[in-house]
Amino acid sequence: MPATEYQGSFLGRISIRRNQVVSMDGNHEQELEDLEIFQKNISDRFSDLLSDDSSSSSSSSEPFLSIAWVRKLLDVYLCCEAEFKAVLIMGRDPSLISKPPLDRVLPELLDRSVKALDICNAVMHGVDSVRQCQKLAEIAVAALEQRPLGEGQARRAKKALAGLMTALGIDDKDSGSHKSTERAWSFGRRGGCGGGSAAKDRGLGQFRAPSWGVPKNWSAAKQIQSMSSNLVAPRGADSTGLAMPVYIMSIVTVFVMWALMAAIPCQERSGLASHFQVPRQLGWAQAMMSLHEKIGEEWKKKEKKGSGSFVGLLEEMQRMEKVGHSLMDFADGFQYPGEAERLEEAAAQAAELAETCRRMEEGLVPLQQQIREVFHRIVRSRTEVLDVLDQAGKPSAPSV
Amino acid sequence: MPHPTLQPPEKSASSVHAENEKHIGPASPSVNAVSQEPIEEEQKGSDGDGERPPLPDLSLSQVLEEVDAFLNKLSSSNGSDENNVPMEIPDAIEVLSRTVESVIEKCNYVPGEGKSKCCQINDEDCSSFFDAIDRLSKVTKKLGELSPSPTTSSFLNRTSAVLQRAMLCLEDELRTILENAKGGGGGKVDHHHPPDNNINQKHSKSAAKHSSFNNHNNHHESTDHKPEPEPAGSSEEETFPGISAEAVSKMNKIASAMIHAGYENECCILYSIMRRNTLKSALINLGFEIISIDDLQKMQWESLEGEIASWIGIVRECSTSLFSKERNLCESVFSNHLEIARGLFGNLETAVCVHFLNFAEAAVLTKRSAEKLFKFLDIYEAMRDLGSSISGAEDGADPEEKSLRSEIEEAKAHIGEAAVSMFCELENSIQSDNGRTPVPSGAVHPLTRYTMNYLEYACVYRDTLEQVFRQNCRRAGAGSQPSEGKDEDEASTGRTEFAAQLVRVMELLDANLDMKSRLYRDPSLRYIFLMNNGRYILQKIKGSNEIHEVMGDTWCRRRSSDLRSYHKNYQRETWYRLLQCLSHEGLLVNGKVSKPVLKERFKSFNAMFDDIHKTQSAWVVSDEQLQSELRVSISAVVTPAYRSFLGRFNQYLAPGRQSEKYIKYQSEDIESLIDELFDGNRTSMARRRT
Repeated sequence: MPATEYQGSFLGRISIRRNQVVSMDGNHEQELEDLEIFQKNISDRFSDLLSDDSSSSSSSSEPFLSIAWVRKLLDVYLCCEAEFKAVLIMGRDPSLISKPPLDRVLPELLDRSVKALDICNAVMHGVDSVRQCQKLAEIAVAALEQRPLGEGQARRAKKALAGLMTALGIDDKDSGSHKSTERAWSFGRRGGCGGGSAAKDRGLGQFRAPSWGVPKNWSAAKQIQSMSSNLVAPRGADSTGLAMPVYIMSIVTVFVMWALMAAIPCQERSGLASHFQVPRQLGWAQAMMSLHEKIGEEWKKKEKKGSGSFVGLLEEMQRMEKVGHSLMDFADGFQYPGEAERLEEAAAQAAELAETCRRMEEGLVPLQQQIREVFHRIVRSRTEVLDVLDQAGKPSAPSV
Repeated sequence: MPHPTLQPPEKSASSVHAENEKHIGPASPSVNAVSQEPIEEEQKGSDGDGERPPLPDLSLSQVLEEVDAFLNKLSSSNGSDENNVPMEIPDAIEVLSRTVESVIEKCNYVPGEGKSKCCQINDEDCSSFFDAIDRLSKVTKKLGELSPSPTTSSFLNRTSAVLQRAMLCLEDELRTILENAKGGGGGKVDHHHPPDNNINQKHSKSAAKHSSFNNHNNHHESTDHKPEPEPAGSSEEETFPGISAEAVSKMNKIASAMIHAGYENECCILYSIMRRNTLKSALINLGFEIISIDDLQKMQWESLEGEIASWIGIVRECSTSLFSKERNLCESVFSNHLEIARGLFGNLETAVCVHFLNFAEAAVLTKRSAEKLFKFLDIYEAMRDLGSSISGAEDGADPEEKSLRSEIEEAKAHIGEAAVSMFCELENSIQSDNGRTPVPSGAVHPLTRYTMNYLEYACVYRDTLEQVFRQNCRRAGAGSQPSEGKDEDEASTGRTEFAAQLVRVMELLDANLDMKSRLYRDPSLRYIFLMNNGRYILQKIKGSNEIHEVMGDTWCRRRSSDLRSYHKNYQRETWYRLLQCLSHEGLLVNGKVSKPVLKERFKSFNAMFDDIHKTQSAWVVSDEQLQSELRVSISAVVTPAYRSFLGRFNQYLAPGRQSEKYIKYQSEDIESLIDELFDGNRTSMARRRT
């Protein structure tokens, strides 16, 4: 990936120079150059995420909003973050950082990063529920793979798929996502032994993994809104100073968290599409803005269709939903021995479902690890920035 | 029409259930009847494919035998010419299917819905039901392996449909048992007496562990792994979280049967979700609440302190009791599939611990201050115990558990870092305490009290602090260069990182007190101040074994000798000047006592002594021993000198008016006035005067 090479040389460049040059006025030009490179890297990386999509019609390994894509998004975040810290603090005199407007925007950034931590946690648990879906789908796949397919296995598949549909938030009309995720998981109660209408008594709505990753009244939507509430681009002289990278990093953080929330199940996200705006006029933000629009449109489409409590835009989940629906119809109407044509069609769909499961199996654990990495990185950076502010605040304060 | 009869299967019943005579839930009569009554075919006509041939009248054991024979035949012919010979499928298979169906039907129509069903069948029926399901799974599996022919396929369709229903039934049963489980630590937190939910605890503690050693190789024989009861252990703790041993053994059978039939996923999903819910409500009962990191940052320290205390209680409960019970349960239910058990338990444990970790990480992010140190050390200790309760597991643990362990280590390190920086905050607060106003009367400075009380409290946590410092030093050392020097330092001085820090704090305090002492213009008062503070420090250190050990005897001896020299200096400053008045030198002029000089001597002694008394009785020495030591030593210097001076020169002053004027004090007066010094009493002199 050219981005990482770039990054290596960029970080190296800064660190070498900062070690050599003691803060002089002649430095300003190089500062500006650093800032420019920083912006360009951000622009390049997000374009890269965008271009993955345009080629997805062919055979990209990272379809838009797929697990692989989300992982790439997190990589981008981690790269940007590392460069940001380099631009901001590496080898720098702490006193520079305690000057206005940094003394105001930096604490704001730290505030935002704490909020991002909560989103990381919520999303971690979201991935858990995706994994739950994967397991249900795996049951259906295993059942449908039996040859010759019997009624018993068809019923088994149907039950698992019904559970999957509930887990995906479909036919979940009576409640918001929060309440239903809290409901006990339970499926086919009485359905098995009764073998008939009793199955409907308990309803399949109970088939939900319990999620208790976030506090009861926590809302992803509110979190994003409060992260972006005081986000204002620096103006005038500030726009070429260090306030700029702080602003850029804030936007990157909010955007990445927002995209994560859109893709992965999360508590309370209604109206997500309009939660924040990426600034339009700035060059580095173009690609991000396009991504924002694209995700926003997807979201609106889904929100219009569903009851507002659907799981997320994750490509694998979408696929699961589509295939799951049609396989459920198949299993529902199945009578031994079944029509060859229908069987074949179902087999192909089951294979697609199996493939989706495989991708989840491969991707979800690393995804969770990566989210955790982002979490830890945010924590560490926060400490580093606080240390610098601390140093700046103490002994050298009078000299400023 | 002849019907098969389900008779008590003679081979397994007696051996397996001998110890279960006192089974609590007596079988309901209607279900009990399954074993005795002939099965009525009419009950299950729905699934049939039209006419059914009459079936032979067989007992269940006969059916099982026939099925076994058939299975044997299949396996022996396997791989040879099975394609050519169309397999004849015995009637016994259909009988088996119907037998299972009939039990399912019975289960389903127990009057009084909502109550569990299969578990009301007594154990004998239950085990024959499991036997039947076992054969049905095997047959289904075998039939599936054959190359399909119309006959085998339709049999397969039949058996797998029945198997599916049986599995649903088992699943239902499993859920019922899990739903009735009462959750491990129910009730309020009481760490020393874990609540006791289980009526059958005496009984239950036996069944847990041993089955995991014995049985994990025989999971193909699902009939007979009823665990043998162990002799009751000495522990009074319950083994399982709110579940009776009977229920556990039933779950074990269900799980084995489901896994055997290829329903592992269903079984695991159900189990893990149900247990997760139960554990969750147990934690909620203990007062557990998820707080967002954001909210935690905004919390006042008083509230956060409360949250931390409750968090610690819950983490302790998990690491000492809940987790091990949960592990027992999991390993007993899945005793034939320990891999599965490990995975399930690992997931469950991780799901809970993630919250603990998040809380700890969130606490680390809050604003640091020296006062928070002790709560952070509590967190550290709880994390440490949690970590060791998890790494107590065998090496081949679940990968998820491994990553959990490293997460805990990481969080622990963060807490430790925070604790170290809080402890080092003390340095800052000492250094930044540089007010220009001296404490009146030379008393113990608030900074001295604060620092020493803080250290005293900190040293209660000495072992933990040592750990935290060592770990932090290692972490910091990993990146930077001066660490090697430090290590050598530690090796050569035998002083731990923490001890070094403690010494550093003491040195800073000394330096600071020295600086403060210079604020006093009166050198005597300066020494009183130094003595007061020095004494306070020394007493504190002697009073705490921990600090004493860290600082060492040499240090204490040095401090004592410092104190003695302050004392000497004080005496010199205040009293040697006074003693000059009592010196014989200069009194004799040409061998005779000069009266004017003598008068002058008495006058100046009186004035000086009054002055000293006036100022120094307002000074404070709050340590009683020090106070009396001072008075005694002053008295020992002044009183004898005055007495002898008085005795010797008294005669030169004319008695009466003159001696009254110049001899203001008798030596007893001097003594009692000295006893009024360092009382902090400003009025004593005034009182005397009037």
